[in-house]
Amino acid sequence: MLKGKNIPLAITFIVGIIMIVSFFIPHRPFGDIEQISLRWYSIIAGFTMVLGVDSLLGLHFRKIKRKEENWIHSIFLIAGFVMVFIAGVWGTIQYGSAFDERSFFTYIYNYFIVPLQATMFSLLAFFVASASYRAFRARNRDAALLLITAVIVMLGRVPIGEVISPYLPKFTDWIMEVPQMAAKRGIGLGIALGSLGVAIRIILGIERSYLS
Amino acid sequence: MAISTNIWIWIAALLTLAIYSFLYKDNPFYKFAEYLLVGISIGYGVSIYWHNTIITKVYNPLVHEKDFLVIIPLILGLLMFSRFFKSYSHLSRMPIAFIVGAGTGLSIPSSFEFLFKQVQGTMPASLDVGNLIIIVGVITTLVYFFFSMEHKGFVGKVSRIGITFIMIAFGAAFGYTIMARISLLIGRIQFLLSDWLGIIK
Amino acid sequence: MKKNLVLLLISLLFIMLNAFGQDRAAEPMLPDSNAITSETVYLGNILILSDIPNDGGGGIEIDWELNDSLNNYYITIVRREGRTKKIVASDLLASSKQVRDVNSDEDMSNVKDGTEYFYTAILSKYAVSQQILDYLVCDSIDLNTRTIADGYQVYLISDESGPVKAKASWFNPERLTVFVSAIIISFIFLLYLQFARNGKKLYIRKINGLDAVEEAVGRSTEMGKPIMYILGIGYVTDIPTIAGLTILGRVAKKVAEYKTKILVPSYDPVVMTTAQEVVKEAFTEAGRPDIYNKNDIMYITQDQFGYAAGVDGMMIREKPGAVFLQGLFFAESLILAETGHSIGAIQIAGTTETAQLPFFVAACDYTLIGEEMMAASVYLQKDPLMLGSIAAEDIMKVIIIIIIIIGFILGILGIGLHIEFFNKIFNLLIEIL
Repeated sequence: MLKGKNIPLAITFIVGIIMIVSFFIPHRPFGDIEQISLRWYSIIAGFTMVLGVDSLLGLHFRKIKRKEENWIHSIFLIAGFVMVFIAGVWGTIQYGSAFDERSFFTYIYNYFIVPLQATMFSLLAFFVASASYRAFRARNRDAALLLITAVIVMLGRVPIGEVISPYLPKFTDWIMEVPQMAAKRGIGLGIALGSLGVAIRIILGIERSYLS
Repeated sequence: MAISTNIWIWIAALLTLAIYSFLYKDNPFYKFAEYLLVGISIGYGVSIYWHNTIITKVYNPLVHEKDFLVIIPLILGLLMFSRFFKSYSHLSRMPIAFIVGAGTGLSIPSSFEFLFKQVQGTMPASLDVGNLIIIVGVITTLVYFFFSMEHKGFVGKVSRIGITFIMIAFGAAFGYTIMARISLLIGRIQFLLSDWLGIIK
Repeated sequence: MKKNLVLLLISLLFIMLNAFGQDRAAEPMLPDSNAITSETVYLGNILILSDIPNDGGGGIEIDWELNDSLNNYYITIVRREGRTKKIVASDLLASSKQVRDVNSDEDMSNVKDGTEYFYTAILSKYAVSQQILDYLVCDSIDLNTRTIADGYQVYLISDESGPVKAKASWFNPERLTVFVSAIIISFIFLLYLQFARNGKKLYIRKINGLDAVEEAVGRSTEMGKPIMYILGIGYVTDIPTIAGLTILGRVAKKVAEYKTKILVPSYDPVVMTTAQEVVKEAFTEAGRPDIYNKNDIMYITQDQFGYAAGVDGMMIREKPGAVFLQGLFFAESLILAETGHSIGAIQIAGTTETAQLPFFVAACDYTLIGEEMMAASVYLQKDPLMLGSIAAEDIMKVIIIIIIIIGFILGILGIGLHIEFFNKIFNLLIEIL
């Protein structure tokens, strides 16, 4: 019996119904359920993090052992992980908290993680340019519409737009407030309904592929 | 030109350049930066988790406040480890079922509230062309998302108007965020030219 | 020369004003102790106490009505429970009109349900000192009969109000509309599920991009390249991620039939474990459990851009022939889509974030917009019960359209033609919503 899907499906159903009911009942314990479940989720998620780290480190250890392609870089990955881990422990011992400003751990965050993340983020500028360049060769009416609107809004948001025409920024604002808002609402309504559909299918057990 | 002598700035600058080298083509410098970022970020994530969750939400409540309710998620979390043992791995379905049930259950009322808010927002506060266009836009977009009938004839025409609105909205969103993305690039270039090389102030 | 002199004078004036202003801020405003007599003024009954409505208990609402001249005074609220007193608020301006005495994470039984509480307010022109605050909470002091005088300032004290009790409500009437519509909508859903069970034929329209799945997988197989499926940076509790996982199941089945490899780099470990199960089941269903490799579904990192960097690197090295991006994506969406485009892969994307959809439309071959993604899993399998829920969603869209049209007509009649009756119904409609 334990091997089947029935118990997990029952758990999903019961927990789902409790969550829905607790939305309407402020009285204890229902009122606190949302907060409690968020806390429980983060606790359970952490255990799964162990699984994830095991999966990743295992993959790279294997690569190093079999000297597969890029195995040297796998050493850097594991070294990075170990370095941060030790820095965290050391920081806690030295300063009481690894997040103290003076700890090596914080230095790693400020001078390794932040620049790497920020630079990855800034790559978007280049990718936006290459995507726009491709979109310029508009193949159909829809793409052309997207492109023209993008150009209008983009120009309307920078000082050059005002120079081209004083109506451009106003037109940009109008586009954002009227047609953009309308479509966003429509898409949002569709998504909310679709989400309801998926959620109901899951709670009722019609959709069970996530359990396998 | 006042090149920085701070080794940390040099590390940050070299890592920045290593990531940018990706734009040319895949190369060992980018690979190094990529693998390093993945490794470090996992280590950082584990530290954050240890501090914010294990200590704050499990150890403290259990040991200091004697809040035994925390044992339930603890057990569910430990069940996830059953995946390490092939014959017991099906036990990991229980915590997953709990998480999915909780998440979808919580999402249902908030989907409803969202629906109401959007419909309320569409109600015309005043009778001008703008509000009329919004109403037409919302209705035609909804028709575009009709799945249970074929988009032919009248429905097809309305749905075409809907996708037109959608494309305009996408174009607007695209144009709106371009500037924000470019300013990110400016930020990194400023770091390189100012903090690292000291070429500009 | 004259211009420079004027500028100099203006700057000097500016600097003097600033310095003067700073001086004033540095010294505390203390009254001239000789000018004030030690005095207590009795205000009478000014506090209005009530239980905070529609909450889970543990909350009292304290309002007060004062003469406008006292608006800039500081108000201190003291609570009495039996003989124990506690300062509930101090350093608060009387103009804020209301304060709430509630439980907090640090103090979970600050306000206990069913216990009688009494409140007294003390007003003062200047902030109350710690000495006075300590005096106020002394067990032996009865605030009704004593005076408060410290030679610094005049204190105005209200009558003690109460008793008041906190109560938890069993139902939140503000959510009544949601409750009623939830019942109606559940009824519609269950009705259509019943139709589907009874064999009524339900249709689902063509969704652009999903017909290309077979073509994408086939082309990849011909070129000897794997398929990459990216679930985005959501958690398993996010509906788009669940939708992505269900589509993964269908795609994985196709991949197994074609005997190709599928790579699933994951952002979240729970999503990774769920994806492993989904792919394993799909391969088993297709009759090829032997070619399932657990290591093809791996965890990258839970950092947004670390994930993007890792997936990008994987894309460049593994060179998949088809890339699926189905789930929850944020800023990293374009990084992934552009890299996929640069390696010449056929890309089918889908997400619910309206801010990222334009980038997918620009960089991918096919994009599923919002709800299309959630209907995709139904489209790829065409299970009768699932088709039933899609039909129910469409009925609700029709209802929403009708409500909007009714609102519009009421608006014309009420606001436009100024017919009061319709105006009233219109406002009622808005309030219900």
